[in-house]
Amino acid sequence: MSAVLTVQDISMRFGGLAALSEVSFEVGEGELTALVGPNGAGKSTLFNIIAGVFPPTAGRIELAGADVTGKSSHALARLGVARTFQLVTLFPDMTVEENVVQGLHRHTRLALFGGIFNTASYRADVARTTERARAVLALLGIEAHRNERAAELPLGIAKLLTVAIALATEPKLLLLDEPAAGLSLEESNRMMDLISGEVRKRCTVLLVEHNMRIVGRYCDRAVVLQFGRKIYDGRADGLVHDQAVVDAYLGVAEMA
Amino acid sequence: MKRFSVPLLLAVLVVLPFLAKPYALHVAIVVLFSVTYTAALYAVLRMGYLSLGHAGFIALGAYACVILSVRLGVSPWLGIPAGGLVAGLAAWGLGALTLRLRGIYFSLAVFAFGEIVTAFFRAFDWFGGPAGIPGVPRPSFFGTPLASHFAFYWLVLAVAVLGIGLLYRLQFTRFGATLLTLKSADSEKLAESVGIPAARYKTAAFVVSCAVTGCMGAVHAQYLLFVSPQVFTFLTSTDLLIYAMVGGLASFWGPILGAGVLTALGEQLFSVGYWKTLVYAAILMIVILVLPGGLIDLPRRLRARARAAIAAPEVR
Repeated sequence: MSAVLTVQDISMRFGGLAALSEVSFEVGEGELTALVGPNGAGKSTLFNIIAGVFPPTAGRIELAGADVTGKSSHALARLGVARTFQLVTLFPDMTVEENVVQGLHRHTRLALFGGIFNTASYRADVARTTERARAVLALLGIEAHRNERAAELPLGIAKLLTVAIALATEPKLLLLDEPAAGLSLEESNRMMDLISGEVRKRCTVLLVEHNMRIVGRYCDRAVVLQFGRKIYDGRADGLVHDQAVVDAYLGVAEMA
Repeated sequence: MKRFSVPLLLAVLVVLPFLAKPYALHVAIVVLFSVTYTAALYAVLRMGYLSLGHAGFIALGAYACVILSVRLGVSPWLGIPAGGLVAGLAAWGLGALTLRLRGIYFSLAVFAFGEIVTAFFRAFDWFGGPAGIPGVPRPSFFGTPLASHFAFYWLVLAVAVLGIGLLYRLQFTRFGATLLTLKSADSEKLAESVGIPAARYKTAAFVVSCAVTGCMGAVHAQYLLFVSPQVFTFLTSTDLLIYAMVGGLASFWGPILGAGVLTALGEQLFSVGYWKTLVYAAILMIVILVLPGGLIDLPRRLRARARAAIAAPEVR
């Protein structure tokens, strides 16, 4: 199994604060891996570094063996990294379908002149893109909502749409930031069934998750962070039996 | 009916010079100037960027054309694309620097740019200094200069139709749709994450907008027969914003309608600039309070009101 993502000795400092200290792990092709940890453990920071939002203070990120440390978010997207955001982020004034069409951006030609003169090849490209967008919506079971305005969607559908937009880029690596957070049990099961089913058939998935039930039930592997250090890296179903992980979580429960 | 409105409008614009008196043609020409500027400004507004210095690009286009034709003896025909080129290049530089700023920071940066442009031309005698440059030649058509309102009208109409046509087509292509993904900082983050190079897109749109503005600015200077630092000022920039907002920002035609109505009104009623601006501002306030969607939204509002009246007749 070759590594799609290699995180190597990543450290991140914000002023005097060490948000991440020498974190290393690998994500193998086709794996569904969870990045777990209490609030403030550094999950989001690491996630943003992998997605190219900001560069790490030290360390390397490799994508299928190639160094991509410090590359911008849109450059990474073209290399096959897609992501969702912790707060539901959509193109609010567009319809559901138009949102996914934008997700297909890297698979369309810019064709400014074709667009201005509305040439036959441009129209064909637009039709093809629309068709592909609908296929992605169908995959996630939300094609019935395709003409609704994104800003008016209920949370469950909106979250599925964020996954649809990311999936439309046809990524090698999909980063999902708490895909089930805020959803009802039923919606959360639907989301996780899709991610561990149709979505992971198409790409390698790394997701941030708090909920141990979800991690144990759906994920292959888990990487646990606490205070910016890795404290666990192994099978997801072994998580609840690991003393360091249990302590980390009970510590949080005590404070809460 | 909507399908025929553009051809109908074009037909009116083509027939107009044969029927109108010179003064009416003067109004039509001035309307075409501000309609084009406002349509170009709208391309920037639509991305969520409020430009407070668009007149700077009119001035750049105007001065580029005037310097070339008056000082360097270049053909006035070439002055028009040259005006667009100079304004577009300036927009490229300014856009690369400032389009990453959002909200008031961008607005102020462009405002400063507009002020710098006029201050620059005012400062150097070779550029005409405070008095400006008179004697701007108009292009000739088969040896005859476009001296009359009737002749010059066709040039203005051609540049307006080409410029607005370009802006229109661009807005409704995929390029134009992608620009909408950059409207807020949040959705721009999402756009970047799916591989949209936001900075490049924004700069491209800004350059097109300012190039169209610059071309028309060159024609404008030829129409006025002179240019000075007092012609295209901050007040011109705010006028354009008022046109766009009064017309309505929800559709491509809103700003064009606003520019057409207010410019025609302004030309009819006021000879003094400050009074005009005062009345414009008052109209803007009324529109914001009473008709937030702008003039373009008026038919829909009236229809909705009529429907509501039928559905629930007033009880006496």
